[in-house]
Amino acid sequence: MNVDAQCFLGELSIRGDAKEVRRSSLWLEEICQGRGVPADQTMRLSLCLNEALANVISHGGPTALDAPIHLQLSLEEAGERGRVAVLSIVDAGAPFDPEVRGPTHAPSSLMEAEPGGLGLRMIRTFSDELLYQRDGDRNRLTIIVRWSQSE
Amino acid sequence: MSEASIDHEDLSEATRRVILSGRLDMLGSEAITLKLASLTAAASRRVILDLREVTFLASIGIRDIIGNAKAVERRGGKLVLLVGDNDQVAKTLEATGISTIVPTYTTEREALDSAVA
Repeated sequence: MNVDAQCFLGELSIRGDAKEVRRSSLWLEEICQGRGVPADQTMRLSLCLNEALANVISHGGPTALDAPIHLQLSLEEAGERGRVAVLSIVDAGAPFDPEVRGPTHAPSSLMEAEPGGLGLRMIRTFSDELLYQRDGDRNRLTIIVRWSQSE
Repeated sequence: MSEASIDHEDLSEATRRVILSGRLDMLGSEAITLKLASLTAAASRRVILDLREVTFLASIGIRDIIGNAKAVERRGGKLVLLVGDNDQVAKTLEATGISTIVPTYTTEREALDSAVA
């Protein structure tokens, strides 16, 4: 009989700066490595985390930087169906719903390439699902990454 | 943890290989961005940006790549990317569409031939 189990792996609070973003990446990567998450799936999560935090810092305004950013990571073991990692990021910045931002298009030439939108494009590409919620004065972004046992 | 670093090798008077390694996140990009700009700054320079030893490529690192590629082109030069078998970097470049606008190669030979073409 397959038993599904959700495993809460950890949480971390960070400040909104470059050193703390690095610290959060290393936190996530260490946990994933310890849980046998394949390296390429860990990289998907780590990239999504990095880009989401970069957006908070760049676009969240002063309120985003004045309060800690809370991270939570859990892993769901789904037997033969594979595994699901769920990463939650809660910040106190200005409302930022990735769905409302609309599609981000890849540039058609080098000279047309603009710096904006890259991070969101990466989050959308590397995650399987994004859930956004505004809870009072907090943004909650939930990033879901799934993979099968064979990946 | 691999800190970001930058090095270079002049393959000819006009062609330079710039080697990036380590994590190109916000911290990593801060560490190399000025040096990268100065290494690619000479007019009509052909640049092979070697990303084979990059362990993490965030959007800020990609912005550095785009910015320098544009600057090199405006000066009459050309910048190409060498990714080797670094699948993760290759996937990130593909996901952002960068590999279609900045020539990207897996072998040194292809990168060199393209840079000097």
